[in-house]
Amino acid sequence: MSETVPAGAEPLLRLEGLTLRYGSLTAVDDVHLSVQTGSRHALIGPNGAGKSSLFAVVAGSTRATSGRVHFDGRDVSGLREAARARAGLVRTFQHSSLFLGCSVLDNVRLAVERASGHPLRPWRSTGAARRTTSQAMGHLEDVGLLDRVEAMSSALSHGERRQLEVAMVLACRPTLVLFDEPTAGMSGAETQRFSELVEQLPAAITVVVVEHDLDVVFRLADRVTVLAAGRVIADGEPETVRADPVVQEAYLGGRSGGNLFTTTETQP
Amino acid sequence: MLGWLDANTATLLNGLALASVLFVIAVGLSLVFGTMDVLNLAHGAVSLVGAYVGVGLLGVQGSIGLFVAAVLLAAAIGLVLGTVLAAMTTSVTGHLRQALLTLGVALIVAELVTEVFGNDVQRVRAPIGLDGSVSVLGNPYPVYRLVMVAVGIVVAVGLYVVLERTRLGATVRATVADRDMVEAVGIRTTFVLGGVFAGGAALAAVGGLLAAPVLGAQPGLEDTILLLALVVVVIGGLGSLRGALLGAVLVGQVQVLGVALLPEIASFLLFGAMGLVLLLRPAGLLPAVGAK
Amino acid sequence: MSADVDSVVATSQSRRGRRPAPRVVLVAGVVLVLAALPLLLAAYPIGLAGRILAFGLLVVSVDLLTGVTGLPTLGQVAYFGTGAYTAGLVGIHLTSNAPVQLLLGTAAAMVVALVTGAVAVRTSGIVFLMVTLAIGELAHQAVDSIPAVGGSNGLAGIPPITVLPGGEPLLLTGFVYWWVLVVFLLGAGVAFAVAASPLGRSMRGVRDGEARLRALGQETYPTKLAAYVVAGAIAGAAGTAWVALARFVSPGDLAFDVSAFALLAVVLGGAGTLWGPVLGAAVVIGARDELATYVGGRGSLLLGVIFVLAVYLLPRGIAGVRRPARLRAGGSR
Repeated sequence: MSETVPAGAEPLLRLEGLTLRYGSLTAVDDVHLSVQTGSRHALIGPNGAGKSSLFAVVAGSTRATSGRVHFDGRDVSGLREAARARAGLVRTFQHSSLFLGCSVLDNVRLAVERASGHPLRPWRSTGAARRTTSQAMGHLEDVGLLDRVEAMSSALSHGERRQLEVAMVLACRPTLVLFDEPTAGMSGAETQRFSELVEQLPAAITVVVVEHDLDVVFRLADRVTVLAAGRVIADGEPETVRADPVVQEAYLGGRSGGNLFTTTETQP
Repeated sequence: MLGWLDANTATLLNGLALASVLFVIAVGLSLVFGTMDVLNLAHGAVSLVGAYVGVGLLGVQGSIGLFVAAVLLAAAIGLVLGTVLAAMTTSVTGHLRQALLTLGVALIVAELVTEVFGNDVQRVRAPIGLDGSVSVLGNPYPVYRLVMVAVGIVVAVGLYVVLERTRLGATVRATVADRDMVEAVGIRTTFVLGGVFAGGAALAAVGGLLAAPVLGAQPGLEDTILLLALVVVVIGGLGSLRGALLGAVLVGQVQVLGVALLPEIASFLLFGAMGLVLLLRPAGLLPAVGAK
Repeated sequence: MSADVDSVVATSQSRRGRRPAPRVVLVAGVVLVLAALPLLLAAYPIGLAGRILAFGLLVVSVDLLTGVTGLPTLGQVAYFGTGAYTAGLVGIHLTSNAPVQLLLGTAAAMVVALVTGAVAVRTSGIVFLMVTLAIGELAHQAVDSIPAVGGSNGLAGIPPITVLPGGEPLLLTGFVYWWVLVVFLLGAGVAFAVAASPLGRSMRGVRDGEARLRALGQETYPTKLAAYVVAGAIAGAAGTAWVALARFVSPGDLAFDVSAFALLAVVLGGAGTLWGPVLGAAVVIGARDELATYVGGRGSLLLGVIFVLAVYLLPRGIAGVRRPARLRAGGSR
């Protein structure tokens, strides 16, 4: 699943003392986190734990109150979201935000053009168009949407929209992909297909997933970080985290028993 | 300093008087934009109706009592128009279509007013008893314009009290911050927001009436008022009372000073000021926090 | 690249290969009919047709911003007026050569669009609309108060245009109409080319998901500014065509209601399609100038009613009424 990284290697993503405060409310509290290259890292925690806020700060859509974000050896804390994406730190959206007025192919073409074309060129060059199209088709094939190429993206099912999003993300040539609750609202079958998709992502791409569905987490992740009330309360291998009483208490509010982690949590 | 003040008292007060009516007219626009994210380009037409209520009821000059009655009538008509506009715009999504819808309504209203009152400029005089002059810092100054300033202050204070100190105001502010939560508590936010819309329209009509003795009443007035109100809202920031106040004061002073000192480029001054504010603060000077 | 992808590409290319033929024929047919009008109609209807084309090009520029980039605007009259007044001044003081007027008018409009757009495009949504309204009004008041361009009386005494250097002035409306048609085709051609280019795709990205576009790594300011400048240039070209036809331009041509009517034409015709709004322009000018006499001169009232009805009855405009089958891939909007 993940590459073995030599111990002591510089982590691809490093969060240093990240804090986010809204007035008197502290959404993210002095978070330290390291993600190794090639890792499949999951971020979990009960509702209100600050996962979304942390996500926003890492992605760059919100400015942290204090702390630093280091990516690929650089301090990206001062970079805006688009700059971070160009550097290889690409995110998905919890509420799939596609370009609904465009076809499936056009959605991916946009991403391809952004990454490797000329997005501001005001005329159509046939050669470039052909290259863009074939690259886009390639990404669509990778996610299994080749049969829906000409459809309007608004016509896709929920699961298909997520697949399209992954195709767009791949087109950005990312080094690290941040998934924001990707299986929210998915049926059991869709979740299964999506998990397979993530498993098949090239090992060179590092994956960080914010997830609610613990089945997905324990299937995909080789490392789990648990957030509660804005702070990191556990960080380590899935089995260790699963058995940690502190984590169980955070989820269940004190009720003992490991049932939480063995119950299947799927959406109807 | 005192000499300069003495020479320019009238201009400064004129600026405040204009700022007063602009505030009364624009505050509804700002709150509706900020809370509902609805584009209402018929706002100027509502003010126009208020001004013509003055023309209709007060003839060329009436008593104070009649004036008060006119204010109440203008407010009532404004409430009705506001409710109708609110109902029309809730079912229409997208700024583009809202812009067209309200533009259409504005055209219809303006044409109907012209049908009834004709194309000429109508003069409305300040009510008997308020049409004289009073001495300010040794210079005569129209009483009515001081009344305009007073009314503006009363409205500003009143709105502040309602928004910050009453249950109703708290409900409005909560709806702005988190509409879903308010719905969950059981309050019909549609009515709350519709009320804001209607209240804003009532104020717009009253503002138009108040301004009539100074600006006159004529076709085309609605475009002028709409534009000035929009500049106030853009400079002041969407959705906030303080923003509308600050914006109105700035626009009122710049406009009056511009016309008095450099009449040829008065408009450029105003739009230049707006451009400058937008360069530094694209959201305006004091936009509401948490509003759309 | 796998065999699957190759076959899908081949299928869609062959499907696309079959489709342009009827579309090219349709466009060629329409252009031929438009070109033939001076041979079929009298002077007044031809003048009307010319005005529709010039206003139609302005409406195309509005749609480029509104329908394609998602930036509803009420300020394109500023660039239309810049183009018109520049062409008029060139005609009076420099040369009556129409291509020169077109070039200078478009260039002037582009410069003004660049300067104003650089500030305007920093805002979005309602604030952007209000800023463009202010820009339009600023231009309106500017030409109204500057004596050098005629002030409130407008710019008169513009000589008839010549097309060839040192050629004969075009006195017949039909000939001027042909020049207007050429400008229209050029301007509309640029609009369609840009819409089909990577820039056009970026513009639709801004419309459909600005946040998403940023998350893909593209700063949206350059795209919006580029769209604004292109639209400004097209509006300027439309202005030069208008002046060539009317030989007169006044502040009334930059009034607020012109902006409103342009926006109406876009919604009426179908925002984003670029061709639908031209039909919308025909309806608006027809209603305002022709039908007005039938309703006792209450043209504005009629138009106000049309505005309101259009919003409720034609959610996607004339162009949206017949959606091409290809786009109806079983989805709803």
